[in-house]
Amino acid sequence: MFPHIAWFEIRYWLRSWMLWIFTLIVATMIFGAASSDHIQVGGALSNTYRNAPYVIENYYAIIGLLTLLMVTAFVNSAAARDFSHNTYQIIFTTPLRRRDFLLGRFFGATLVSVIPMLGVSIGILLARYMPWVEPERWERIIWSAHLKGILVFALPNAFFMAAILFTIAVLARNEIVSFIGALLLLTGYGVSAALLSDIEREHIAALLDPFAIRTFALATKYWTVAEKNSNSMGLSGLMLWNRLLWIGVGVLFLIFAYYRFSFAERRQKARKTQELSQPAAASVVLPTVTASASSLEMYLSSVKIHLVGIFKGTVFIVVLLAGLLNCVPGMAISAREGYGNSTLPVTYWLLQTIAGSLYLFLIGLITYYAGVLIWKDRDAHMDEITDSLPAPEWISYAARFTALGVMVMLVQFLALASALIIQTSYGYHRYQLGLYLNQLFVLDLSLFFFLGVLAFFIHALSPNKYVGYFVYVAFLIVNLFIWKPLNVASDLVQFGSTPDVTYSDMFGNAPYITAWYWFTLYWTLFCGLLAIATVMFWPRGRQGRWAERWRIARLRFSTPWPALALLCLVSFAATGGWIFYNTEVLNRLIGPKDQLALRADYEKNYKQFDRLPQPHVRSDKYWVDIFPRTRNMTMRVQEELYNPYPQPLTEIHYTTDLLYDTDIQIPGATLVKNDTRLFYRIYHFTPPLQPGESRTAIFTVKSKNRGFEDSVSNVEITQDGTFFNNTVAPMIGYDTGRELDDPNDRRKYGVGEQELMRPLERNCTDDCRDNYLRAHSDWVDLETVISTSPDQIAIAPGSLVREWQENGRRYFDYKLDHPALRFFSFMSAGYEVQREEWNGVKLEVYYDKDHPWNVQRMMNSLKKSLEYYTQNYGPYYHKEARIIEFPRVATFAQAFAGTMPYSESIGFIANLNHPDDIDMVYYVVAHEMGHQWWAHQVVGADMQGATLLSESLAQYSALMVMEKEYGRDTMRKFLKYEMDNYLRSRGRERHKEEPLLTVESQQGYVHYRKASVVLYYLKEMIGEEAVNRALRKVIKQYAYNAPPYPTSHALVDALREETPPQLQYLIKDLFEDITLFSNRTLDATAVKRPDGKYDVTINVETHKYKADAKGNETEVPMDDWIDIGAFAKPEKGRKYGKTLYRDRVHIANSKSTYTFTTAELPDEAGVDPFLLLIDRVPDDNTKKVTLTSASAASTNQVRGK
Amino acid sequence: MELKIDGLSKTYANGVIALNDVSLTIPHGMYGLLGPNGAGKSTLMRTIATLQEADSGSMRLGEIDVLKQKDEVRKRLGYLPQEFGVYPRISAQDMLDHLALLKGIGGSRARKELVESMLKRCNLYDFRKKALTSFSGGMRQRFGIAQALIGNPQLLIVDEPTAGLDPGERNRFYNLLAEVGEQVIVILSTHIVEDVTDLCTKMAIIHEGRVLYEGKPDDAVAQLKDRVWQRSIAKADLTSYEQRYRVISNRLVGGRPHLHVLGPQPPEDGFTPSIPDLEDVFFTRIRGWS
Repeated sequence: MFPHIAWFEIRYWLRSWMLWIFTLIVATMIFGAASSDHIQVGGALSNTYRNAPYVIENYYAIIGLLTLLMVTAFVNSAAARDFSHNTYQIIFTTPLRRRDFLLGRFFGATLVSVIPMLGVSIGILLARYMPWVEPERWERIIWSAHLKGILVFALPNAFFMAAILFTIAVLARNEIVSFIGALLLLTGYGVSAALLSDIEREHIAALLDPFAIRTFALATKYWTVAEKNSNSMGLSGLMLWNRLLWIGVGVLFLIFAYYRFSFAERRQKARKTQELSQPAAASVVLPTVTASASSLEMYLSSVKIHLVGIFKGTVFIVVLLAGLLNCVPGMAISAREGYGNSTLPVTYWLLQTIAGSLYLFLIGLITYYAGVLIWKDRDAHMDEITDSLPAPEWISYAARFTALGVMVMLVQFLALASALIIQTSYGYHRYQLGLYLNQLFVLDLSLFFFLGVLAFFIHALSPNKYVGYFVYVAFLIVNLFIWKPLNVASDLVQFGSTPDVTYSDMFGNAPYITAWYWFTLYWTLFCGLLAIATVMFWPRGRQGRWAERWRIARLRFSTPWPALALLCLVSFAATGGWIFYNTEVLNRLIGPKDQLALRADYEKNYKQFDRLPQPHVRSDKYWVDIFPRTRNMTMRVQEELYNPYPQPLTEIHYTTDLLYDTDIQIPGATLVKNDTRLFYRIYHFTPPLQPGESRTAIFTVKSKNRGFEDSVSNVEITQDGTFFNNTVAPMIGYDTGRELDDPNDRRKYGVGEQELMRPLERNCTDDCRDNYLRAHSDWVDLETVISTSPDQIAIAPGSLVREWQENGRRYFDYKLDHPALRFFSFMSAGYEVQREEWNGVKLEVYYDKDHPWNVQRMMNSLKKSLEYYTQNYGPYYHKEARIIEFPRVATFAQAFAGTMPYSESIGFIANLNHPDDIDMVYYVVAHEMGHQWWAHQVVGADMQGATLLSESLAQYSALMVMEKEYGRDTMRKFLKYEMDNYLRSRGRERHKEEPLLTVESQQGYVHYRKASVVLYYLKEMIGEEAVNRALRKVIKQYAYNAPPYPTSHALVDALREETPPQLQYLIKDLFEDITLFSNRTLDATAVKRPDGKYDVTINVETHKYKADAKGNETEVPMDDWIDIGAFAKPEKGRKYGKTLYRDRVHIANSKSTYTFTTAELPDEAGVDPFLLLIDRVPDDNTKKVTLTSASAASTNQVRGK
Repeated sequence: MELKIDGLSKTYANGVIALNDVSLTIPHGMYGLLGPNGAGKSTLMRTIATLQEADSGSMRLGEIDVLKQKDEVRKRLGYLPQEFGVYPRISAQDMLDHLALLKGIGGSRARKELVESMLKRCNLYDFRKKALTSFSGGMRQRFGIAQALIGNPQLLIVDEPTAGLDPGERNRFYNLLAEVGEQVIVILSTHIVEDVTDLCTKMAIIHEGRVLYEGKPDDAVAQLKDRVWQRSIAKADLTSYEQRYRVISNRLVGGRPHLHVLGPQPPEDGFTPSIPDLEDVFFTRIRGWS
């Protein structure tokens, strides 16, 4: 019987269009993702084959989550079909056994659920044969990968999902409850993902993931491209445990369902009210009523009825709960700044979280309830009564719309309340209620308003509810996605679309808000027209053909509607015209495709001039006038150029900034080419510029902010918070920064592969004339006269010479104390300033008055950094060191000469109160201060390895400052994150990984992450003093030198000189090769000694590998010095215990054993416990120590072989 | 005031002719619309109740053009549809109050009293706080008449009101209807002949969209005087009788078919005269005889 029922179920579905549509959807998604780069499922593909086993299995894992709702549909039907179709009275009275029924339906539904998942294989297999794919990105079909995808992911996921949903469906016998169960499952999944995102909890997260997506990600975290192309994940290790666990959970659910299910009807609540026998209706006299109801009364009564209907509904409560469940934990965890830290729960962060996690649910509620409200009467079969009442259509419309609006506002209010509670629980009291109200009830509410009007319009015109929903959702999706391919950027066309408004504590939303108001007015008027149309076409009575509806609408369209409609229409057109004028006539609005095309054209036309010798800049003088209120700026520049080459120069090229109007005057040079579309100019020197000869160029640069724009193009100048570089002025030569960097874009616009850096040369002269940071200039002098409005402070590089007021404006004169790299920033805002002094250097932190929390920390870091660097590297030549806050339009910190701009949204709002948190503020300031030596005194030539001299050394410098402040032991957590980041990023390398000596400037994962680990390790091995000696040498030799600039060889050679002979292998391993280890502790035991101390024994296995560019590894013999050690149990509330033992041993075998003594019982022990070596799997370096008896331990007491 | 319908026609999009040149004159008092299922009664009712458009023809309620001045009609209308549902999770009192408000009855305290009185009159007062969805069929129908009657309508349309009610409930329902004032136009549509006989002063018979008869029930019955004959026969003979004679109706009595036949004289031996009733009129007209 059971096979028959299962087979019946499967046949039922094979005949249903729903199954094949689902399969088609999945196949199309995967087909699209595999064959093109426009569609992504689970992240972008890196350099692996498009049908690599890793890719196939990854799709299978992710599709499990995406097909959850499909599975719900199948399982719902299988479980509850007899109730929804009312056949249970027939089926359940046959001699059918409970077991056969349940298992048969369940297995049938489960097997059917697997079919859409097979769409992954279908999609990938088909995609291969499409004419537009590149054959070299595809390998031969590896069937085992497909099989493993099905066995490891599709079948167990289907089983698990079906088991839970089947249980819910068969016991609740209600479709809505089942869908809600699915929704809760999805939400729970998302919440757990957020809660378990800390790297420390990776393994638990992987085990607890029922779809095995995180499990797969963890298991393949460090796989290189080569491994991803050939290996596939089977049922082993963590994956096996995960599958067994969740299949077990599924089985438990089924057992529960089996015992609770019965064919009998559920006990009905006494539904029917008892009717007693009635006496004949007594003649009741009806009172007379004279007053007539006002429209307001009718409206209010209707609003109340509709609201009660919504709030008492199951769907509202469940979706609201799901939404809050998604949103509240997200807010509580607040922003992650990386390295496991969080930021303070500032209001704009919470608002962003609310928008990201709650609004999808809210839009779902609007979509659902708009339909419910319009179809309510017809669904309840009350329409014939209500439609024949004399209440006018517009009251019906207005009341329903108001009810929808009140529902939305209630949800917003709950979100607001939750946010306030969360802020209070963190002890953060800067609530900014005005910001909440503005964002939730004005900015965001307007979008919901538009959506509601549209939904009502569509439903009123639709012949039935389902067409209404379908058309509405389809419209929303098309409205969201169609404009980019059509190259349309204007918000005038995309329904309900308004300009993005970014909030900053510095400028509020001043730069964006004018545009927003106009666009909102525009769409509101449009929605007014839609609303009027909705009322005219309001469904009432039986709807006939369109001709009839049109006729009725015309009849209804009498005073006051024509006047209102005309008013709306005229205002709408006028507003649209005004917006068009501002956004496309006064300002330029370029479509997204056109923007990319312009960049490609720039490269195609002018790349040829990239290495053309050009005059260099010797000194600059700037006169800058900033006008914050109008967001404009004018600048005059006097630039001294000279010819540093031995041959005369005939041309000078300039790239100008597209956001500014630029005028260039050069004596003795004529303009021969002026490309106003691509912003490139060529001047001819007559006579040619002789070697050593100099000229003075004068530039005038003006910003072009007029009216308002659809999307603010120049966020560098704002009403409060201005930050721009000297790149707004004309830059000599070709600017590689303008090139397209996305390889897909590059292919699409025909610019080929991006050029990498020049190969490293040892003794270069001509090739090292330019540094990698700023071409065509070396060390320049600078003086700036900068003015701004009287309530702001303007800052330029150098010491403040003079400050004065003139003509209602405030002026500052700054002069650089020492020639520097031509890398200057200009800033202005209403700052608070904290000033201190260290050894004659003025330390200043400029910050927004509402962000005082971490300012002292920054100040401390400045002092400690200066102390360490001046002591160990060399003098600091500027008289000031400034940290300056800028608005959160960008999220970085940067180092200019003596000036370090720092974004509002990092550092200033970091939340560092847990003792185990890495003090990122301290670290970043130390890193940027490090750059004052490494980049602003010594800077690498423009070839491979340049960033080793700047970024890597800045990383190392910051690490040392941290270590001095927080101790060696705290380096553990930091290095762990750095190593994890490096290893993960390796698998995404698009070209080839370079060792540190020849690192490319794009390879941040090498020159930041790997360098941190490697340089710290080197310091551990040869000692801090030795490393610093080498660094001092480099500074002495190259700081502020004229070209040729140093290469990475300079650093490596210096380090080599300071390395003792037995450790010379390190230089090759760390800098010239890509070296990895695989160290693990097999077991760790301890024996208590009579004197109360402990003998600890560890068995370790160590392997060493060298990797090639694509990640293929070869094992090499071990001959290294590696640490061993043991830690105590962490104290309550801390993550890391104190160090009980640490020693360095020489390891030359793959297997070794070590014994040592500790004063107390260790918690864990092992090899390389501080993670100094780059390890494929860092977590198995140490193991938990087990206490054993004396006799067992004594036989193992062997010192290292 | 009377309702005058002139040449009303409606064809649905699928070709079905619902109303075919219907002309009726409906004075105040109880007016019965008699016809089998699918005759067009509900279409006509809905059109009068402003819920449906007609393709051609006109309707006047006194001076008001029903087709063009829908709002004016609605102010005077009470409508009990053939099938109606109720909003979930709302009590009888709240719903009736809301409907009364939408009908234009102002003054919340006065309206409350009116609602309570109406519920009392319909014997629903004891259940006024219960959810409407929990009402039995008879109670729901009584609620329907309560909402139709509230606000003193001048035109009351009741569409198949007693279908599905047991005899006790039917009686209760008609008692309510009888309380309606003399000056109100009440149009009662039904396929139950007895309802018309019992209640209506004027009637029309509708079949396939056409009016087959309009007038007083008594007059229609009188036309069949001495022309209806009855006889009990064997089941096997039924077919042959139907072929030979004009069989008006055939009902099982004590398990044997009992025929009414139309003719100027008894069709054969064994037939006795039968006093004609409205049912005979109904079936005769439907078949197009007389």
